[in-house]
Amino acid sequence: MLTASENTPIRNLYIAVNHFLATQTRLFSFLPDWALALRKFAAMRLLVIEDERSLLTSILQFFEQEQFRCEGAGTYSEAIDKIEEFRYDCIILDINLPGGSGLQLLKYLRADEKGDGVIIISARDSLDDRIACLDLGADDYLTKPFHLSELNARVKALIRRKYSEGAHTVSMGNLRIDLPSRLVTTTGGPVPLSKIEYDLLLFLTSNKNRVVSRRAIAEHIYDGPSEQGPGPEFVYSHIKNLKRKLKEKGCPEMIHSVYGLGYKLVL
Amino acid sequence: MSKSLQQKNTRSLLTWLPLVMLAGCIFFYLLLSSHIHHLQEQQLELKQENIWNTLRSMPDGIPLHIKGEYDIEKGSPVPAGWIGRQRDTSLYYASGREWDGFAILTKQYRLGDTIYQITTYFSSKEITHLLIKVSLAEAVIFLLLLGAIVVINRKASRTLWTPFYDTMETVRNYDILKNKPPALAGQTGVDEFNRLNETLTRLIDHAYSVYNNQKQFTENASHELQTPLAIIRSKVELLMDTPFLNEEIAAKLGDINEANERLSQMNKNLLLLTKIDNNQFPEGHAVQVTDLLRKYIRHYQEYYEGDPPEIKVYLEEGVLLQANSSLIEILINNLLRNAIVHNIPGGYVDIRLTGRELTIENSGLVLEGDPQRLFERFKKGRDESGTTGLGLALVRQICFLYRFDVQYLHTAGIHRIRLAFGQE
Repeated sequence: MLTASENTPIRNLYIAVNHFLATQTRLFSFLPDWALALRKFAAMRLLVIEDERSLLTSILQFFEQEQFRCEGAGTYSEAIDKIEEFRYDCIILDINLPGGSGLQLLKYLRADEKGDGVIIISARDSLDDRIACLDLGADDYLTKPFHLSELNARVKALIRRKYSEGAHTVSMGNLRIDLPSRLVTTTGGPVPLSKIEYDLLLFLTSNKNRVVSRRAIAEHIYDGPSEQGPGPEFVYSHIKNLKRKLKEKGCPEMIHSVYGLGYKLVL
Repeated sequence: MSKSLQQKNTRSLLTWLPLVMLAGCIFFYLLLSSHIHHLQEQQLELKQENIWNTLRSMPDGIPLHIKGEYDIEKGSPVPAGWIGRQRDTSLYYASGREWDGFAILTKQYRLGDTIYQITTYFSSKEITHLLIKVSLAEAVIFLLLLGAIVVINRKASRTLWTPFYDTMETVRNYDILKNKPPALAGQTGVDEFNRLNETLTRLIDHAYSVYNNQKQFTENASHELQTPLAIIRSKVELLMDTPFLNEEIAAKLGDINEANERLSQMNKNLLLLTKIDNNQFPEGHAVQVTDLLRKYIRHYQEYYEGDPPEIKVYLEEGVLLQANSSLIEILINNLLRNAIVHNIPGGYVDIRLTGRELTIENSGLVLEGDPQRLFERFKKGRDESGTTGLGLALVRQICFLYRFDVQYLHTAGIHRIRLAFGQE
C-alpha cells in the first residue's frame, strides 16, 4: 500500500509532472481547439469510488470506452491511496463507503486544496444532502439510480468547465456548438433550436457514438421534479424536429434510432 | 348522556344532601318540641306543687282564679280523662286584643273531704316563637352548609383531578405523525394518576417505536433498492452499446429496461410518500403557485409536441401558498401530467386557479367505479400498464399534509380534480 509518507523522490517527481500537465492548460493555448481536445481527452484521468463492485465495473467499462484512463476504488482507504498517488481530472464519488463516508473524503480533498473535479453519486436525493455536498466543494451531484449517459454528460461538462478556459465550443464534424451563447452552427449556417432541442443535441453530442436510451433523454431534458417526469414516448417528436432542422442546414443522418431502444449520434 | 365528573359529583350531592338535611330538620324539630313539652310539664308541675302547698297552708288565703296562672275549683268539673295530662288552650287578652296560647295541666287533690281540682297555666306563646325561630335558623344553616359543601367539593375535586386533566390534554394534543412522545408527569402526588401516566407513557412509547421502525424500514428498503436498480440500469445501458445487438436482443433489452425504469420510478414515489409521511419536508415559505403553474404548463406545451391536447388556462395572478415548494411542484406536476397523459386524441385540458382553489378538468376515457378510489396507492384506471399507480396517492398525501380538500369528479369522460386550499 502506498501512502504520502512513503513517497520516493522519483514518485514525487512523477506526481509533480502529472500535476503540472493537468493544470497548466494555458501553456498549450497556442494549439488549435481540436488539438487541445485531443491532448486533454487522451490524458483524462478518472477515478471512480464506489463500493458496489458491479456498479463500479459498469462505470469503469463505460468510461474506458470513452477513452478515459480509469481507476476504481471500492473502499475509503483504497480511495485515499489513489488520491495521494495521482491527480485526477475527475473523481466520481459515492457517499456511502465502507470505512468512512464520501463526505469525509470530499473534505479531505478540499482541505488538501486538490483541484480534482468531484461528482457525487448518492442514493440520497433530498435537497439538504445535495446542498451539503455542493457546500463541501463537490462540482456536481447525481442521484442513484442514474443513467450512464447522464453521468457521462456531467463528467464532460465538468471537464469542459474546468479545463477549457477560452475554448467554450464543442465541435463535431461540421457541427459546432457554442456553449456560452447556446448557438449551434453548421456549414449551412446557424441552426435555430428550441431549448429542449438544444439540450437534446448537447446531450447526444456528449454521448456521441453511443446508444442513449429514450428514458435517459427524457429525464435529461425534463427539468421538473425528478420523482415524476413525463414518459419517454415524448422524446420522439423532439428527435424528429431536431433531425429535420439539422438536415435543413446540411447535417443529415447524424442521429440514428437504434431498434426503438434509444438514439445514437454518429459522426 | 354523559356529563363531566364535576357535574356528576355536584348532581349527586344536590340530590342526596337536601334529603338528608330535610330529614335532619324534621328530626331536630321533633326533638326540640319534645324538649319544650317536657319543659312546660316541669313548669306546670312546679306551679301545681307551689299552689297546692299554699292552698293547704291557708285554704282561704289565696284567690281561686288568677288569669293565665291558675284555677282552683272545688269538686270535679274537669272530666277524669283530662286529669294529669297536659292540654292546650287559649285565653283572650283585651290588652293585646288577641288569643294567647297556653299549656295547661289539671290535677286533683283531696283536703279533708273536699276535692280540689287545680289547673295551672303556662304561656306557650313565646316558647312557640322560639321554636319557630330556632327551626328557621336551623334551616338557614343547613342551606348554607349545602352551598358550602357543593362549592368546596367542586374546588377540591378540581384540584384533585388537575393531573388527570393535564394528562388528558397532553394525550389529546399528541399526534404520532408529528410529535415525539410527550413527557407525562411521573409524580402527580396521587397514586392512581401516577399509574395512569405510567401506563399511557408505556403505550405511547411502544406505538411510537413501532411506527418509527416501520417508517425507517420503508425508507431504508427504498434506499437499499436504489443500488441494485442502478446496477441493472448500468448493465442494460452497456448492453445497448454492444456491437452484437440485433433486433431480437434489442426488444428484450427494451423490455428489461422499461420494467426496470418503472421499478425505479415506483421506488422513488414510495420513498417520496414515506418522506411526506415522516414529515421530512421542512415548512416552506410562500410559494408562488401562479408562476409555478405557468412554468409547468409552458413546459408541458413544449414537451408534448406532436398532438398535444388543447390547454385552456385561467390563472389568477399572485396566488401564494404556505408550503414546501418541492412538494407543491410535485403536486402541480402530477396533476398536469395526469390531465395530459390520460387524455384522448383531440381532447382538452382546462386549468383554473383562484386564491381559493385549483380546478383541472380534462377529457379522457370513461371511468368505471368510484373516482375517489384512484387516490389509493396502486389503484389505476383502465389500461395504464406503464404507470406506477402512485401519482394520485402522492397528490392526496400532499393535500393531506397541507389540509387541502381534494375531490375527483367524473362524468362521462370528463374528469375534474378540484383542490380547495382552505388556508387563511
